[in-house]
Amino acid sequence: MTTTHRRRASARRRGSSPGRDPVEARRPRRTSQLRAWIALGLALGFAAGFAASVVVMRLDRIVTARFDGQRFRVPSRVYSAPTIIYPGMDVALAGLRDSFVRLGYREARGDGALQEGQYSWQKHRIRVHLRAFEHPTRAEPARDVVFRVRGGEIDEILELPKGRSLGAVLIEPEELGAFYGPDHTQRELVGLDDLPPHLVDAIVAVEDQRFEEHPGIDVRRIGGALLANLRAGGIRQGGSTLTQQLVKNFFLTPERTLKRKAQEAVMALLVELRYDKREILEAYLNEIYLGQRGSTAIHGVGEAALRFFGKRIQNLSLSECALLAALIQSPNGISPYRNPERARERRNLVLALMAEQGRIDSAQRDAASAEPLSLAAITADPGDARYFLDLLRAELSDRYDAAVLSGDGLKVYSTLESRTQRLAANALRDGIERLERDFPALAAKDPSRALQGCLIAIRPQTGEIVALVGGRDYQLSQFDRCTQARRPSGSAFKPFVYIAGLEPRAGGPSITLATVLDDSMLELPTPSGPWQPQNFDREFHGSVGVREAIERSLNVATARLAQQVGIGRVADVARRMGIESKLPLVPSLALGVADVSPLEIARAYATLAGGGVRPQINSIEDLVDPEGNTLERRELRHARAIDAGTAYLVTSLLQGVAQRGTAAGVRSTGIEGPIAAKTGTSDEERDLWFVGYTPELVAVVWVGFDEPRSVGVASSVGALPIWRRFVGELTGGQIPGHFPRPSNVVVADVDPVTGARALWGCPDRKPELFLEGTVPLEVCPGGSIAGADEDGYRRTENRFLEWLRRHL
Amino acid sequence: MSGRALPRGFAAKLLLLALGAVAVGAGCAAPLGMSRSAPLRISEVEQAGDARRRASTGLVVEGLDAELASRRERALSRYADAIRTDPGNPFAYLALARFYADARDAERALENLERAQSLLDAEQPYDRSVEPHLRGLRGWSLAVAGQRASAEPLLAEARRLAPVVWDDARLEARELR
Repeated sequence: MTTTHRRRASARRRGSSPGRDPVEARRPRRTSQLRAWIALGLALGFAAGFAASVVVMRLDRIVTARFDGQRFRVPSRVYSAPTIIYPGMDVALAGLRDSFVRLGYREARGDGALQEGQYSWQKHRIRVHLRAFEHPTRAEPARDVVFRVRGGEIDEILELPKGRSLGAVLIEPEELGAFYGPDHTQRELVGLDDLPPHLVDAIVAVEDQRFEEHPGIDVRRIGGALLANLRAGGIRQGGSTLTQQLVKNFFLTPERTLKRKAQEAVMALLVELRYDKREILEAYLNEIYLGQRGSTAIHGVGEAALRFFGKRIQNLSLSECALLAALIQSPNGISPYRNPERARERRNLVLALMAEQGRIDSAQRDAASAEPLSLAAITADPGDARYFLDLLRAELSDRYDAAVLSGDGLKVYSTLESRTQRLAANALRDGIERLERDFPALAAKDPSRALQGCLIAIRPQTGEIVALVGGRDYQLSQFDRCTQARRPSGSAFKPFVYIAGLEPRAGGPSITLATVLDDSMLELPTPSGPWQPQNFDREFHGSVGVREAIERSLNVATARLAQQVGIGRVADVARRMGIESKLPLVPSLALGVADVSPLEIARAYATLAGGGVRPQINSIEDLVDPEGNTLERRELRHARAIDAGTAYLVTSLLQGVAQRGTAAGVRSTGIEGPIAAKTGTSDEERDLWFVGYTPELVAVVWVGFDEPRSVGVASSVGALPIWRRFVGELTGGQIPGHFPRPSNVVVADVDPVTGARALWGCPDRKPELFLEGTVPLEVCPGGSIAGADEDGYRRTENRFLEWLRRHL
Repeated sequence: MSGRALPRGFAAKLLLLALGAVAVGAGCAAPLGMSRSAPLRISEVEQAGDARRRASTGLVVEGLDAELASRRERALSRYADAIRTDPGNPFAYLALARFYADARDAERALENLERAQSLLDAEQPYDRSVEPHLRGLRGWSLAVAGQRASAEPLLAEARRLAPVVWDDARLEARELR
């Protein structure tokens, strides 16, 4: 068979006949091509459909995962302790006005009716409409309250309208900060039912007036925007619906590409398919970005209401609702703080649109448009509380995941007192800067090697940390020197030696306050060779009284006393009082060679201030979940560490230090009232300590370099002034309260030279405190028994009168 | 009837003597009688002391009211606020001691009682009406801790000093209020 024959045969098999017209011959070929194209088209269509449905399914999964899961991560907020105001308080010291400003209260003009969150301030009359405070155990209703002021003090507190007199009023805690996630956003979640109707109307009017009608995308609006943009020759108007905006913020990046726009549109449709309008609107209102406060991004209308107006969302007025709606377009560009005129114009535009769309009437529009912008004052980020926030975070992280703390919206009610904290931060910062000015060699060129310091203040009765400043600048260094650093405390350790000597034990205490100590040369063998303690002035002072030894902070007398009572006993006292760091049992322990933290020292001195009762340190009062359930509640815990009488004796010694001794500088600015204090300076003046307490506050100041080197000044120069300024400003120079004298402490006259009882015929005498049963038996040289009898009679008489006083 | 005339002024002297005897008797009896004086109620000392103490004691009373309304957590907050207002107010610690004894937490009850006692010890003037509560609360707390032998004498003494309040060996919030 030839080739021609084979072709013909083949053509027959395909149904063609030889000798046909060529056009006729080409038709089946075209048909087959068409079929191929159709098949290809179908295949491609199928593939495209498949791919599209895969994309849509993926987008749908993203949408549902977010909407059905945790929609918002809300950082846990940390609050200060509440402020309690009562008659008799000094208005300036209470820091009332500052509190109102920081809480976002707005000052009203005149004395007419006040809205919640407003106050009016006159010389003799302060009126405030306190906001309601939600708390599981401390909830307070909103109250309209008047403080009558006389002579700078609150004379009376009256609740309006009835004029009921109140014994005390609690001002809500201030927000100190939050445990932010990496995005550093803050929001206050709100439900649609919480919102004032004007707010939704205002937002819908300006952002998406057909929100109720469209399926996620608004074709009419897109067309309108397209035309407007074409006319303008650039993008001037957006066509995004609220749903699209929500999708963009929730799931997408802000870039303006076709792909992202397509994704946005598809996701908007999916969101509308799956969720109802109310749910979408609620998510939008909680998500929308409304500006910046410091480094924190404000998201959602709830948070914005608090920040801009100092109000809960439900209390916003029409004009305030319109302003929030106005901000959405350009939160920072239209910020009422930066551009009040633009903000007002945009607000009035929103009001006009609302009226145009029949959402408000023209009278409402006119009234609201005429209102001035009334905003809460901007308060600085409470940066100085960040060391404290870190402490709380570390404490809570034992029990709560980092994700929970930064996303579950817990409320941490802390013990920090806002005003106390601010004063502490200012005193420390200014004190260190002053040192650098006075001693230029201390100013380091490298900020990371700068002179540092810390200040911690606690309440001795409760152990509550009321101020904590872990360094001079948190931005510069986040290391908290109050709780994380361990440094030699120098002479600030000495009170433990005296407590060990004074406290009762079998056979009586080692010393009384009348004991004469030996401050002559001392050499003690140690594993590293003989140790010879030296006094600060490099001299020995021979026989010295206990008061003189501690008031002049004599090292040799103290080291000898420590040997007498036993170093183990000294360490035991320190541990009982709250020192947890390792204490080496070496002779120099008495002079403070052990590394301890300022927090430990504060706790130990709080034990003295609290009459020998050691408080448990507290930084958190309550931890509450978003539903208002208490997750944790700290309660006051304390334990007797040393005898009350011994604590009182040592407090009396340290009062002498503050009165006449190395800490006498605390009085130089005229501070009055009870202060007990001790300075501490480690070897080569590397660490400067000042520990001082009043009946109601213990404050510890440490100053030094992170990499230990000599500061070159004494603690009375470096640390004391910081304490003095802090406590002086906190108390207004009048320290309240007194150190209560326990019943087992008695007074007897002693001879100041020998420490023996000063009786009839003694040349000199001074009253001294003793634990009952420890009054010296020996009489001063030349003193008479007759006198002793007379003295004894007087004491017996006093005791009898005391007994009568107690029992009658 | 012949009678000798009494010395002049005898009746007056007799009367004075009798009055003296009565005074001595009354004086001697007074401590016994006063030892059963009404036990402390915190609402009665609410207006005592300086402004700060009054505010603090007012918060203690609010705490007791909260306990009476079975709002125990709120009561604790009020006691904490009372201490924050005046850390040296012994009545706040006394109320806390009662709270914890009632909650059968002997350790905390005794801790707070000790604080109350040391503060009261240094108070001028010393308020004797608190004595039955100090003894009773210690006894109650020890009884809660299972130390009946130590508790009984204290409770007996509290009963003797304030029979109506301590008759049932416990102190109710309304009795302290």
